[in-house]
Amino acid sequence: MDYIFILTLAATLVLFALFERVKKFIFLISFQGVLLFGIALINLLHINTLELVLILLETIVVKSIIIPIFLRKMTIQNQLKRVHEVNVPVFYSIIFTSFFILGSFLLSSFLQLPNINSRIFSIGFASVIFGIYFIAIHKNIFSHLIGYLIIENGIFLFSVGVGSQMPLLIGLAILLDVLIGVLIIGIFVNKVKDRFQSIDIAQLSQLKD
Amino acid sequence: MLLYYFIFSLLISLSILFFKKKKLSNSLIIVFLLGQIAITLFAYQNINQTDSAFFKFDALGILFTMILSILSIASFYYSRFYLDYKDSSIKNESYYYSLFILFIVAMTAANFAQNMAILWVFVETTTLLVAGLVYFDRSKIAIEASWKYLFIGSIGIAIAFIGILFISVVDIKNGVMALNFDELIQHTKQLNPLWVKISFLFILTGFSVKLSSVPLFPASIDAKTVAPGPVNALMSTALINVGFITIFRFFVVFSHTDSFLWVRNVILIAAISSLIFSAIQLFKVKRYTRLYAFSSMEHVSLVLLGLYTGGIAYYAAILHLIFHSFIKAGLFYQITGIKQTYHSVWFKDSGNYFRIRPIDALVVLLGLILITAIPPSGLFFTELTIFKGLFLSNNIFIAILSLLLLTIIIYIIAKKIMHLLYGVQPKTYKETTNTSNKYAFIPVLILFALTIFIGIHPPHFISELINSSIVLLK
Repeated sequence: MDYIFILTLAATLVLFALFERVKKFIFLISFQGVLLFGIALINLLHINTLELVLILLETIVVKSIIIPIFLRKMTIQNQLKRVHEVNVPVFYSIIFTSFFILGSFLLSSFLQLPNINSRIFSIGFASVIFGIYFIAIHKNIFSHLIGYLIIENGIFLFSVGVGSQMPLLIGLAILLDVLIGVLIIGIFVNKVKDRFQSIDIAQLSQLKD
Repeated sequence: MLLYYFIFSLLISLSILFFKKKKLSNSLIIVFLLGQIAITLFAYQNINQTDSAFFKFDALGILFTMILSILSIASFYYSRFYLDYKDSSIKNESYYYSLFILFIVAMTAANFAQNMAILWVFVETTTLLVAGLVYFDRSKIAIEASWKYLFIGSIGIAIAFIGILFISVVDIKNGVMALNFDELIQHTKQLNPLWVKISFLFILTGFSVKLSSVPLFPASIDAKTVAPGPVNALMSTALINVGFITIFRFFVVFSHTDSFLWVRNVILIAAISSLIFSAIQLFKVKRYTRLYAFSSMEHVSLVLLGLYTGGIAYYAAILHLIFHSFIKAGLFYQITGIKQTYHSVWFKDSGNYFRIRPIDALVVLLGLILITAIPPSGLFFTELTIFKGLFLSNNIFIAILSLLLLTIIIYIIAKKIMHLLYGVQPKTYKETTNTSNKYAFIPVLILFALTIFIGIHPPHFISELINSSIVLLK
């Protein structure tokens, strides 16, 4: 069953490389939240009600609802519609993304990690690498925020892959920290837009001596 | 006890933010500082005791919190000058003080965190708070610096979290997770060497933003270029100590594994490359804040070299951080004075400081002597010990290379400071706009005197705390 979720998640990574509309990025982030919930639910053993609530909060409530709503508000406020400035042509990006996914699966089968869910580990690894690639090829800071969220989702998959179940209180603290972090990064995107009249990263180069 | 301290500090911070009354803020800051001193003393009295489930008052945590508490008092004192200089509104002042208090609390919590995930949470919290404090100036470069710090810092910390995940899962089959450092040390035999190596790479990369070392140092350097002086003083000292304590705690765990040699080699690469980068970058710097920021990077490299060398150099590395904290904080406090005098921190706008502000200039000169490790600076003794360790362990090439780079760095720092002290008076300088305070140098002088005193005659309790910190290292 988790194959379906993992393959769909891999497909969302390819779609991230394909799309240019901001609206679709937000939809994909939201959709990834749902997929993460599915993967976590199937794979985390000995799960109790409180832990289930935490995962539900982390994936569905935060990743699929709160953050996408916040991002949507941000795009409306800054009138962002389409991301034009990509360093690498879309066609190449799709090929690269496919390589990341394939490479991650090959790497984890090559390493033969003991007692690890290698499928989830692989897709988590691919997400983190793709997130970094996504940040590197985009020139605007809104896309960088999306890249950061993809990395965060990758890390969530890692934690499911290695079977880690944090104590509830710590899990909540981490969740709160990450959420506040994303919200503050979002607020700073707005500040940059207000002050520089643009969210192009090229504008942010006045500090060099 | 720490839980009460968190609640107490949070209440103070929120009260300052919401009431926005100058007198009330000042009184609350004094109350907070008393609380900060109290928690430091409490920790010292209850050494090695667990507190509030996830924390432990261990020797290194106590030592760094002592430094933090001393510097917090000085930072609040200089914040007054900084805010007066900026002529900021009461609203902005409340925002500043409120975040500053939380920043100090987050660092205290990180110093005492015994649980890896909790340590991660508080280090991430410092990232968010520093971004808010750097943004205080509201200028274009302040936004740029805070954005870079926030974004690169968050990505770095996210990467470090992967490292924590890898190392914490000791026995996956049975779902055993060791999140406490003490617990992890007992399970080191069960750790997979490959995972140990990967996780250390992630952890070092992630926390390098705090430590101001390779690879993620640019974000921290940019933030220090524009941060308010008193914030900068803590970012370049107490926050670097937090970065160090984080890496050191993992380092202690890894010292019990078979991959320790590999870990030490990674530390060596980070140290040497940080030293090379800071030497190269120092040729390009044009601002005093950036000069001091790269100087911190140089000292962190030496501390990392101490970790690589081992033996007596462990002791020297920690002592080096103590000296560096007092001297660098003093120099950053002096920046506020320079700003008040020239209304700029650029080299081109400064000069002839000895004629304009003789006493302050004398203090800067003393600072230069101390930061470049010229006796009676305590740094002289620690650097001597680290290099002695390198030579004795047959790392002659590394020692010579480091000494060469250090010579370049000292030359550039001395040249730039000499320009400030004796250079031609800039045309932009006007006596009428000089708003610097006559007595602002006193706390800096106290900090410098403390460094010299500890260097010549280290108090017994400091030696004891450092020795207890390194006792677990193999």
